[in-house]
Amino acid sequence: MVPPSKITAESITESFAASGFICSPDVATSLFLAENLGKPLLLEGPPGVGKTEIAKLWAAYHASELIRLQCYEGLDEAKALYEWSYGKQMLYAQLLRDKTSEVLAGAADLDSAIAILRDEADGFFSRDFLLPRPLLQAILSPRPVVLLIDEVDRSDEEFEAFLLEVLSDHQVSIPELGTLKAKRPPRVVLTSNDTRELSDALRRRCLYLYVDYPSFADELRIVEARVPGLSVSLTDRMVRFAQSLRKADLKKAPGISEVLDWALALVAVGADGLSASMLRKTLGALLKNREDVERVLADPARYRG
Amino acid sequence: MIEALARFIDALRAEDLSVSPAEIVDAGRALDLVGLERRADVRRALSATLAKDHQAALVFDRIFDRFFAPPVFPARGTGEGRVAAAGERPRPGDGERPAPSRAKPKDRVKAQGNASFTPKRPGAELKEILKHGRLRRAKLRPSGEETRDPAHRDLARRMTTEEEREVAREIPRIVHALKLRVSRRLARARAGRPWLRQALRDNLKHGGVPFVIPYRAPKRKNTRVVLLVDVSFSVASASGLFLLMAAEFVELGRRARVLAFVDRPVDATAAVLSWARGSHRSLGAREAAPKSRRRGARPGDGILSQDVSFADILDGLKDLNLEAPSDYGTAFHALSVSRLRPRGRDTVLVVLGDGRTNRFDPLPFALEDLSRGCRAVLWLVPESRSRWGTADSALPHYLASVDLVVEATDLHGLSRGLGELLRRL
Repeated sequence: MVPPSKITAESITESFAASGFICSPDVATSLFLAENLGKPLLLEGPPGVGKTEIAKLWAAYHASELIRLQCYEGLDEAKALYEWSYGKQMLYAQLLRDKTSEVLAGAADLDSAIAILRDEADGFFSRDFLLPRPLLQAILSPRPVVLLIDEVDRSDEEFEAFLLEVLSDHQVSIPELGTLKAKRPPRVVLTSNDTRELSDALRRRCLYLYVDYPSFADELRIVEARVPGLSVSLTDRMVRFAQSLRKADLKKAPGISEVLDWALALVAVGADGLSASMLRKTLGALLKNREDVERVLADPARYRG
Repeated sequence: MIEALARFIDALRAEDLSVSPAEIVDAGRALDLVGLERRADVRRALSATLAKDHQAALVFDRIFDRFFAPPVFPARGTGEGRVAAAGERPRPGDGERPAPSRAKPKDRVKAQGNASFTPKRPGAELKEILKHGRLRRAKLRPSGEETRDPAHRDLARRMTTEEEREVAREIPRIVHALKLRVSRRLARARAGRPWLRQALRDNLKHGGVPFVIPYRAPKRKNTRVVLLVDVSFSVASASGLFLLMAAEFVELGRRARVLAFVDRPVDATAAVLSWARGSHRSLGAREAAPKSRRRGARPGDGILSQDVSFADILDGLKDLNLEAPSDYGTAFHALSVSRLRPRGRDTVLVVLGDGRTNRFDPLPFALEDLSRGCRAVLWLVPESRSRWGTADSALPHYLASVDLVVEATDLHGLSRGLGELLRRL
């Protein structure tokens, strides 16, 4: 674990580079600020530019656990925060039936039996029967963890509002248990693909960084670092090709991960150039939409750098 | 720092960017963490804390560039290159020290925009700053009416077709003057071979006694020239004018090549050669030109050679994408790995362009690579020096790889740049 005084943008860049991730100064500075200001970092940008990877490497940098909450439509508190283990409660109730009978034996009437149960039943809503979900896991963790709230734009607005308390105060309220506050606030990274507008309230609680597709030079370095088996000239040509596809009006522009997959595919088939037949064989790794593939194969010269 | 930050936030709010007090506190703390030494770090820190969506980030970048003074452009290049002084003329043997700028100190302060503005009231005052900043800059730039001499017309300003024609009409005069200057000055040297014929002429006044021994500059042989010209919307007029002038001095096709680029270089030698000679058979006349891919008046429409405009020539270059955003880095890199790459100790590379690369990665290593393969690299910038390095101008990134940068804001500036090239032939 890196001591806080040793965290610098440069050390973040170096650590990420050691894992094969070319970290831009924008990313390094934003992480450095998020760490020192104790604020969540909201990463927004097109899919496949490495937002999730940043969170994973951020956890690796701190040698801490990564707790991931994948957002989707319909995600609610029960799935994100906690659930009561009803099965466990039922099992315990069955096993303790004899004991319950003994306790209730002294009750003269129904009211006194209910009063006795009220006192005893609190035990069934203790932490022993709590199933912590990612948010609560992050808050209850004795060590600081990195909490990744992935694709927050896919969740509903109600859930987004619910997140505000977690993000600003690092605490959650559970009716049966009261308010639980994090002893060691988690480092929070949120990602968004910008599919819907996030609320101002959420944005204000975060530091913000737009992660765009990498520049030609950066992408060249990324591919060279991750797929060393590719020749220099072919790397240059394939990156140029991918960059020009992003400028074209495709349904799904290729992200970095697709470019890396494509590079691996080219290595696997032993490609020495981007001929039409080679493109036909490997383009599926780069483009994930049939119309896009057909469009590019119809006139590949248009996209060649 | 707090005062500057407060004024900057007022400027953001004036552009309808909402900034909460909590965010201001965050911004102050972030600045405290990253320090004020590096402008890029300040920008990142403020952007992360004050701009909370992509649109806001774009507005932020614009306001930041306008509000905080851009880096002071060095008077000399950071590497081997140096910047030609304003009004400097090619003269062999001149000292390396550039002449002092002709701009008045007062004007220089004005060009810094709002740097020295003292606000009275926050909020309204920043609107005023921005407004005044623009007004002051506008005053510095002479209007079309003030610039009566077409040869002094600012090439950075968008010209109408008629204005282009007026400027182009000045070319023969400028070319003639340059020919005289070049022939007079370039032939002599401080040392070298004695020049007998000139010695007789020079010593007539001494009664034929050879008091003065003139020397002739050793003639370089086989110098090749590569003219790499930006033909994007903002620079196309300057490029057309320059090529028309250059064609009078360099042997296009044999010893010189023309590469036009917007985001990648395209060999335009044959087209420019036949156009400049007035023998562009494929076009012949404007009516016969291929259907333009662009709408409305095009830059270069008024630069004519035998009724064929420079815009027609550009439209006829099939591999040239005139609608692409300028991308110098990609163009340099593409050139460095292509068969068109200029190479050889006898090659001089001339770049004409404003270096505005739309915030694409400037890839300075690509120009450095090209520079290593050439004898010299000259860069003609058709933009006022006060604007170099501002906003999306990547010119400072390239300086280290350039031998001489010439401010060529008008026809005389282009002529000066051409003179510098001719000195090196």
